[in-house]
Amino acid sequence: MATISLRHIQKIYPNVQVEERRKKKGEDPKKKKNNLKITEEGVVAVDDFNLEIADREFVVFVGPSGCGKSTTLRMVAGLEDITRGDLYIDGVRMNDIEPRDRDIAMVFQNYALYPHMTVRQNLEFPLELRKVPKDQMKKQVDEAAEILGITEYLDRKPKALSGGQRQRVAIGRAIVREPKVLLMDEPLSNLDAKLRNQMRAEIIKLRQRIDSTFIYVTHDQTEAMTLGDRIVIMKDGEVQQIGTPQEVFNKPVNIFVAGFIGMPQMNFYDGKLLKEGDRYVIDVLGARIVPSEDKQARLRERNIAPMDITVGARPEHITLKETEGAMMEGTVDVSEMMGSSIHIHLNAGGNDSIIIVPTLDLGDRDLSIGSKVRFTFAPNVVHMFDRETGKNLEYI
Amino acid sequence: MDKKEISVKNALIHGDALTKLSAIVMGAGMIGHKQIVKGLMVLACEVAFVFYMIGTGLHSLSMLPSLGTQAQEKVWNEAKQIYEYTVGDNSQQILLAGVVTCFVIAAIVLLWILQLRHSYNLQKTLEKKGHVPTFKEDIFNLFDKNLHITLMTLPCLGILIFNIVPLVYMISMAFTSYSKEGEHLILFDWNGLTQFQRVLNLQGNIGRQFFQVLRWTIIWAIFATFLNYILGMILAMIINRKDTKWKAFWRFCFVLSIAVPQFVMLMIMNIMLQPSGAINVLLKNLGWISTSLPFWTDATWAKITIIIINLWIGIPYTMLQVTGILQNIPAELYEAAKMDGAGPVKIFFKITLPYMLFVTTPYLISSFVGNINNFNVIYLLSGGGPTYVGDTAGQTDLLVTWLYKLTVDQQYYNLGAVIGIMTFIILTIITLVTYRNSSSYKNEEAFM
Amino acid sequence: MEDTKRNKLSPRKRLTNFLVHLLLAVLAVIWVLPIFWIILTSFRAEPGAYTNTFLPQGYTLANYIKLFTDRNVLNFPKMFKNTLIIAICCCFFSTFFVLSVAYSLSRMRFKFRKPYMNIAMILGLFPGFMAMIAQYFILKAMGLTEGSAIRIGLIIVYSACTGLGFQIAKGFFDTIPRSIDEAAVMDGATQWQVFTRITMPLAKPIVIYTVMTSFIAPWVDFIFAKVICRANADQFTVAIGLWNMLQKEYIYQWYTCFAAGAVIISIPIAILFIYMQRFYVEGMSGAVKG
Repeated sequence: MATISLRHIQKIYPNVQVEERRKKKGEDPKKKKNNLKITEEGVVAVDDFNLEIADREFVVFVGPSGCGKSTTLRMVAGLEDITRGDLYIDGVRMNDIEPRDRDIAMVFQNYALYPHMTVRQNLEFPLELRKVPKDQMKKQVDEAAEILGITEYLDRKPKALSGGQRQRVAIGRAIVREPKVLLMDEPLSNLDAKLRNQMRAEIIKLRQRIDSTFIYVTHDQTEAMTLGDRIVIMKDGEVQQIGTPQEVFNKPVNIFVAGFIGMPQMNFYDGKLLKEGDRYVIDVLGARIVPSEDKQARLRERNIAPMDITVGARPEHITLKETEGAMMEGTVDVSEMMGSSIHIHLNAGGNDSIIIVPTLDLGDRDLSIGSKVRFTFAPNVVHMFDRETGKNLEYI
Repeated sequence: MDKKEISVKNALIHGDALTKLSAIVMGAGMIGHKQIVKGLMVLACEVAFVFYMIGTGLHSLSMLPSLGTQAQEKVWNEAKQIYEYTVGDNSQQILLAGVVTCFVIAAIVLLWILQLRHSYNLQKTLEKKGHVPTFKEDIFNLFDKNLHITLMTLPCLGILIFNIVPLVYMISMAFTSYSKEGEHLILFDWNGLTQFQRVLNLQGNIGRQFFQVLRWTIIWAIFATFLNYILGMILAMIINRKDTKWKAFWRFCFVLSIAVPQFVMLMIMNIMLQPSGAINVLLKNLGWISTSLPFWTDATWAKITIIIINLWIGIPYTMLQVTGILQNIPAELYEAAKMDGAGPVKIFFKITLPYMLFVTTPYLISSFVGNINNFNVIYLLSGGGPTYVGDTAGQTDLLVTWLYKLTVDQQYYNLGAVIGIMTFIILTIITLVTYRNSSSYKNEEAFM
Repeated sequence: MEDTKRNKLSPRKRLTNFLVHLLLAVLAVIWVLPIFWIILTSFRAEPGAYTNTFLPQGYTLANYIKLFTDRNVLNFPKMFKNTLIIAICCCFFSTFFVLSVAYSLSRMRFKFRKPYMNIAMILGLFPGFMAMIAQYFILKAMGLTEGSAIRIGLIIVYSACTGLGFQIAKGFFDTIPRSIDEAAVMDGATQWQVFTRITMPLAKPIVIYTVMTSFIAPWVDFIFAKVICRANADQFTVAIGLWNMLQKEYIYQWYTCFAAGAVIISIPIAILFIYMQRFYVEGMSGAVKG
């Protein structure tokens, strides 16, 4: 039972430290590696992070490396100081409270099991430090082991376990003391693809069985989409969008979110937004696409003036069905037969793009390299981004 | 709270009465801000300091500039009808007491600054949060986030008292006339840079010896370091070769020699190589030589002998240390080189050596420093000899063994101190130049 | 090896192999011979340092017996006891100092950390003897240079500055992933518990290594011991005793006993060394644990 609120959380690494670290790595200390904001105080690793997490919610922080997602998680854990802002768990301010008193558990990317202890000792360690009585300790350990299916390994040392088993033990050690909050820092990224899928399913099951609130950090958008009740997308220390998987997929607030969520990536083309009387029209690659009515309404509502835009369309929303006046043309680079669908890599007006077409829709079309393909976007799922700011014009 | 805000200046300007009071009565700020035990402890330090200064400190300090003037004298005691010895000043004790007092004063000043800042911090924290750590919490923190204080206090004290204070004391001797020369063993005086001038003056006797010793020290260090390094590495590589059998056995043979204490081995070597020692006897019996080989009596012979014996001692160490690193060299590198048609010699110089140098630069530097300061080998083998008449330094003396002779044997303390300082300066230059540029120094935190 | 038999080696390769093994054999003889010779000498019946034969003419255990029973001229049993006491105390303090400093520098972040490492580096550049004379004066001022207080003086001298020799241990601690510490902190451990319950067990090799090196130090150092003991024959350590046996006035009578003494103190050191060889190698190459 725990709600978490992060209010205006900020993390700044003093310049001295950062420069020193870079100098040691043999890099140019003045050169900026990423686009983190630099103020007089230092490098802003996380800036103005605001989030209210409900009890038992599963929140995923996702973003490219160096975006500040792990730093934020570690601030919640208490492993990093919070430079500015307030962290509350169940309404109690946690900034100055030691990690052990926050009732938080954490699963690390590299498992961080204690190599010199058996699995049982690993699981007992947090209970022992909290002076839980022996018999209760045994009960809790057995229970956690049972949930994760590691009962038979209890007397082995971590070294004798496979990656997946180690990860279960790591999770077991985190849930054994029934923490209010369970933090997971890229827990699956050391596993191979097959195990990762399996563990992902296990984590979903685990959720049903324990009452903790979850915060999960990953750089993998698939994990984020499949696990999260809500997703926080971050970039360069700033929150880009917070929302349910559906929201961030269907209504990306900017070009970054649009590109980051979804696999394969959204296609982007330079285009123009025009206004014909009361209607908005997109001019892209020589085609004219009229956005659907709800989109028209949202644009009108925001009183958008004609401008240069970036047009975005997901590969699965591009179709080869002929629509008059709206067809674009591209040259096939590669086409990959995936079974039920075909991924066609196109070069359209200098942009690389991918189209996913159901195999059945294809007919006997020629898809050899160099052949021409005509395509168009579905007007109800085309996205329009301000080319200057990258913002989605429908959700400014 | 910003750390910058907590400064002595701010404490004196913006501190409340109690904080300001702690500028005079140390610990007052803490006592007044709910940290009574800690405050009392600081106060006790101040009281102890005052008593120390009144008792001996002030006196020691006042004697420091003159280092004592009263020589021990025989005085005729009329009443007892005997000669009595007056208690004269002992400059060496005065200097030591003076140095110690300086350190005590420095310590109390540091404590003053810290407690003032701490008081101010307490005051601010109280104003803001209304709670400051209790004594119990402080103790708990000493085992948690302040564990480094608990762990490092004793080692630091040890280093301060038995390394830094002695070094400062020794360094200050370099600027005095503390020496058997001119009978300045009990009462001596400051005499500035005189000794440095003597050492650096090439025309003078001491200066000539200094540069002679310095030259040999550097030659020795270079040979001892690099010959051992290269040969040890080659030995390790030969043992680790894929086709070499009984690897563990060979390694054991060489490691065995490390197990015998170095000084034992050195003393035995010294005896075996005497003019009438085992080696010479053996060679004479075999009829190979008629007169003894001058292992220790001829300067050049002595130098070469030392370097060779040092190989015997040093190679197994290098072999051990290098083995692990050699195994870390990625096998692909070798395979790639072999594909390109490189022979073993070429592979060694193009791949192994550069890789090893890259990884072991700090080790090389520390072994170079160790060799410059390598007392045992020289002192026990040749004793620095052969020595020319009138010299204090022998032909194979290093700076350190000369330093030892000058201080322990000859009691030329001031000269010895100067040699020590010169050694330090030379080492500093060498180390700074190489260490700062080494990759390992730059990557100290690569793991974190 | 079955493999080598099956893949017949080329004649050239076989020749190199032969030469390599020959070379190793010659080198091994050079390295082992002096040790072998000392052992032989320790059993030699005829006294004196200089003999006309390489191999002893007669063998006896008398040298060992004399070493441990003759208390009149050079009291070896007493020296052995002195050294043992000093070594045990030293071992305790040095290990604590080295590991404390290494752990703090590796795991904790504090303002004094960088300065400490720089100071340690600078102090390491001073010749050890520079401090030695002054250490003697300081011990003298503390009254630790007379009688049995010398022991305390020696213990202090051997262990006080060991906090400067943290590099190997720190290097080892650095290889233990930080996330293990963090996991322990999240599990509710204080830093002290992390130190004692996580890091120490994980760093067992380096703990053993530190214990051994600090135990051995007093057995093999004779310079500090000589300067601090001066003429207090009562407080001599084994090293001074052995050194004295080779001085002009004793060498004829005591040379074979010297060899016996050398063998006696080499045996435990040899065992320790062979045992810790692997940690030595690991310490240098920085094995990553986890």
